[in-house]
Amino acid sequence: MAKESDVSLFNDVLEPFRRVINTDPPKDRLSVSAKLNFSESNNQSIKEGITNLSNLGKRKISCGEIAETPGKRTRSDSTSSVPPSPWEAKRLKIDLIGAKAQIIKLEARINHQHAIRKEMQILFEEEKACLLEQHKRDERTISDLDDRLQIVRKREQDLREEFTESMKEFKDTKAKWEKDRMELQKQVAELKDQLLQANVSCKDQVSEMQKDMNELLAALEDAQEESQLLKGEVEKLKTKADQCTSLRAQLEKQTFELQQATNKLKEIEYERDSYKDWQQQAKTAQKRLSNMAELEKEVGRLRAAERTLRDAVCNKLLLEEHVHILSSKVDTLQPMQQELHEAKVKISTLESSLEEWRSAARGHGVESARALSSALDNALSGQLTAVAGATQAESQMVQLTEELATVKFERDKVTTKLNDLQNVKKNQESLIHRLQKRLLIVTRERDSYRQQLDSYEKELTVTLSGDVGAGSAALLSARVEQLERSLQSYRDLLATHDQESQTKALETARAEASKYREEAEMAKREASKLRAQRDQLHAHLDKLAAPTKVLHMADNPAAMAQKQMQSDLVSAQEEIKNLKTALREGSRACPEEVQELKKTLENSRIKLQRMKEEFTASAQEYRDVCYMLLGYKIDRTGHKNYRISNMYADSAEEYLTFTLCEDGIEMVHTDYSTSLGELVELHLHQHRSIPVFLSALTMDLFTRTTMQQEIV
Amino acid sequence: MSQQQTKNCITLRGSAQILCEYLKFAINSVLFQRGLYPPETFKAEQQYGITLLLSEDPLIKDFLTNLLTQSEEWIVNKKVDKLSLIILNVATKEVLECWDFNVQYEDGDVALSKEKNETVSSKDLKKIKQEIRDVMLQIAATISYLPFLDCRCSFDVLVHARPDCDIPEKWAEAKPVEITNAQNVQLKSFSTSLNKMETVVSYKLTD
Repeated sequence: MAKESDVSLFNDVLEPFRRVINTDPPKDRLSVSAKLNFSESNNQSIKEGITNLSNLGKRKISCGEIAETPGKRTRSDSTSSVPPSPWEAKRLKIDLIGAKAQIIKLEARINHQHAIRKEMQILFEEEKACLLEQHKRDERTISDLDDRLQIVRKREQDLREEFTESMKEFKDTKAKWEKDRMELQKQVAELKDQLLQANVSCKDQVSEMQKDMNELLAALEDAQEESQLLKGEVEKLKTKADQCTSLRAQLEKQTFELQQATNKLKEIEYERDSYKDWQQQAKTAQKRLSNMAELEKEVGRLRAAERTLRDAVCNKLLLEEHVHILSSKVDTLQPMQQELHEAKVKISTLESSLEEWRSAARGHGVESARALSSALDNALSGQLTAVAGATQAESQMVQLTEELATVKFERDKVTTKLNDLQNVKKNQESLIHRLQKRLLIVTRERDSYRQQLDSYEKELTVTLSGDVGAGSAALLSARVEQLERSLQSYRDLLATHDQESQTKALETARAEASKYREEAEMAKREASKLRAQRDQLHAHLDKLAAPTKVLHMADNPAAMAQKQMQSDLVSAQEEIKNLKTALREGSRACPEEVQELKKTLENSRIKLQRMKEEFTASAQEYRDVCYMLLGYKIDRTGHKNYRISNMYADSAEEYLTFTLCEDGIEMVHTDYSTSLGELVELHLHQHRSIPVFLSALTMDLFTRTTMQQEIV
Repeated sequence: MSQQQTKNCITLRGSAQILCEYLKFAINSVLFQRGLYPPETFKAEQQYGITLLLSEDPLIKDFLTNLLTQSEEWIVNKKVDKLSLIILNVATKEVLECWDFNVQYEDGDVALSKEKNETVSSKDLKKIKQEIRDVMLQIAATISYLPFLDCRCSFDVLVHARPDCDIPEKWAEAKPVEITNAQNVQLKSFSTSLNKMETVVSYKLTD
């Protein structure tokens, strides 16, 4: 395969080469044979063929050389022996030329073949490199695959091991489970045995228990019989007790009578004691009657004493009145006294002040009060006059200040005037200065004119004198000098000519110029504004004159938005209407549902009713059963309150009430319960068992009713 | 771009195309800036050296393409004086804002026109774009003083055409709009030297 492909590949490669060879005319058999050989040769002979070809070429060349050398020899031979005929020579020459040409061609071909060989070599080398690379890659892949194979094998081995392990485990677990199963089965069997045993034992126990129960029942019957006997005894004892109570009552009556008798006895004793007292009193009274006269005397004395005492009482009342009046007077007099005290103090102070006055008056040489008053008058009048003088002086001062102010004002005026005048004076001085300057200038001008005049006169005199030539030249120069001087003087004049005023005028002129310029600019601006306005108005007018059509697209966004809004509005209104109608209809909106709900409601009501009935019926049944079985009717009278009435009760008022407490049930005292003192004491207080109490009560009542019936 | 331009020379058609492109971006910009449509329906695009937003709403896109192709024809034929983008309250149909795009026609480069036998302009395209960019930036800046639109608003574009202009299909005559108590703000203008575009926004001044 590889060889065939190589051959085909070589054939492909050599196809153009062959063509090249074919295009060349076959010059000799060798080349052809070589070509054939080349084309048919196998891959081994490629290089050899090429080398052969080249060798052949070389051989050919060498052959040519070999052929040539004999030619030369022949030539030399011919030159020596037979002179060659010109034709032969010509032919030889032609042959030689042909041979040379052939040699050149062959050389070219050989070169060409060399080049092709080299190309081929390069190609084959490249191919070889490619093949080598491929070979390497294949080797690599093979090695990779080997590695993988090994890995796979390892994995397989591992998996096999795992499998065997898992199998072992599985077997182990199986064995374990088997063992467990066996054990469990054993256990089950044991348990079954146990169950059977237990059943048997249970049956035994049950039979034993039944026996016990029978025994107990028998015992109970015995006990009941005993109780019956005991009850009979109790009845007897009760009758005895009744007799005892009647005896006790008799005893009590006797003791009461005894007490009454003792009380009477005590009263009698008391009366006897009081009689003794009366006897003693009677004795003392008799004694007193004997002392009657003395007593009458004493009465008279006592009466006199009484009178005196009454008088004394009257006097005492009078004195009290006096005391009262005096105390009120004292009360009224106390403030008076205080005032008196104050007045005294005042008097003392006034006296001290008077003394001071007097001493002062004495100091002034006045002895009497009148003299003092006259002196005071004099002093006051003097003061008055002094005050008048002061007011006058003040008014004068005011006048003077006013005058001063006016004077100051006038002075200010005058000073301003003075200033003005000084300014005027300064102006005038400056004017004078200027005028003096002018005068100076004018004098100078005059002088210059005079000089000119003089010079003219001189000229005239010179011209009149008629000296021509050197003199004229001198004259001219003098005149030029004069003229220059005059020019200078003019310049001076110009320079000195009132510079200040000029500068002032210049400044004012400049200011005016700037002002005018600003105004001009303002005006320009305004003009531009007005122009712009005019242009705008013109444009407006043009528009008005040539009105434009206003066009827009029919389906513009604004129109679309408006349409959409209207449609939205319409849909919203419709929705509102629908909702309103739905709201109005309300229940009609979904009658089926409502109907269904009503049905279910009715059903549930009926169910509830039935349940109630059922409940009441069952409750009644329960109560009846309870009543029939336990002999008590239990009514619930309120929260946690229960009323119990026995089946064998004599009347409906014979009932007991119980309340349910946190720690059990308690009996509440009723009229009936108080009548059951013994039972309560025995069963509730000692046995602490309500059921026993209740059953005892039932028994009691039952026996009573049956006994009554028996009695009846 | 699309304008026919050969060596700094803009034809009438090209000028109209520049104007219409400007109008497209300006209208989209106004729609975005004034919040007429939700901002998520706009897509950013680089134009005139700045980022501008274009609406992705197919209805707006269709409307603008139809409007601007027709307007381009009219501008080429010098039939249009003004395009007005009006923003109105949908409920009351009251016009709240009016963006006037005044179109003026100029002569262009006369010498070159004679040479080419066609009115053309030799104004540099870069300069035109710069001018347009300035106007766009001004439009973006208007949001700072334009009053807030607090109602459901929509827009329409009115074309003020010459009276001799035919009314094409899908178009209709509309009434000219007026804004009461209007305040006008003149924005910058740009020119292709064949057309001059002035942009004026007038809005209702509310106290």
